[in-house]
Amino acid sequence: MAQAKSILAICRHAPYGNSLAREGLEAVLACAAMDQIPEVLLINDGVFLLLEQDAQQIGEKNLRRNLTALPMFGVETLHLCERSLRERGIDPAQLSLPGAELKLLQNPGAFIAGFDQVLSF
Amino acid sequence: MQFTLVVYGAPHASEGAATALRFARAVLQAGHGIYRVFFYGDGIHNGSALAAPPQDEQDLLAQWQELEQAYNLDLTLCIAAAQRRGVLSTSEAKRLEKPGSNMATGFELAGLGQLAEAAALSDRVVTFGG
Repeated sequence: MAQAKSILAICRHAPYGNSLAREGLEAVLACAAMDQIPEVLLINDGVFLLLEQDAQQIGEKNLRRNLTALPMFGVETLHLCERSLRERGIDPAQLSLPGAELKLLQNPGAFIAGFDQVLSF
Repeated sequence: MQFTLVVYGAPHASEGAATALRFARAVLQAGHGIYRVFFYGDGIHNGSALAAPPQDEQDLLAQWQELEQAYNLDLTLCIAAAQRRGVLSTSEAKRLEKPGSNMATGFELAGLGQLAEAAALSDRVVTFGG
């Protein structure tokens, strides 16, 4: 494909509440599969994607499983908005994703501004 | 400048759908190009031929089709999102053994790879709705 552009995918929605949570992760995987590996930022309710989920209770497929596929597609870092975590009472120390490094972001605005393209989900 | 528009808003549900249309028109009238309009999530409902809004409400579909005719626009519906929500081309309806098809003229179905490609080849990606 053409010249490489830096792409950021922003996941803003909690799993199961809005279809963009699932379809956003599907788009991230599709980009990565086409060698347009995006950086991924979880912000606002998107940080809930990282928590353990029992989706069977509501007849859904587990979305965290899609997240765990990301490192296999070359997405090896997840950027997390620190403020979003704090506002939701999530302790970063309780979070992990096999094969991925979790990085806390203090200033997501400046981070986002550094990319050529932003895909917002 | 080449733009790609990503539309999540369904017509008559989200203002994003109508805003995307007006933005597309403004971009083209200003002399820029639109590489692709990619309809994703609930935005795929923009490509349904069966929407029949009351006469005193705006008909977004007819306006997208006019723009497509005038500028040879690439109007792409994400195939996975469209199948989930029931917007099917004739061939997809047949393949999936569904009783009817409803994809509007001027639109086409394609995979998410088309979004990745558009992001790589456009100068700007602008998202509407969601």
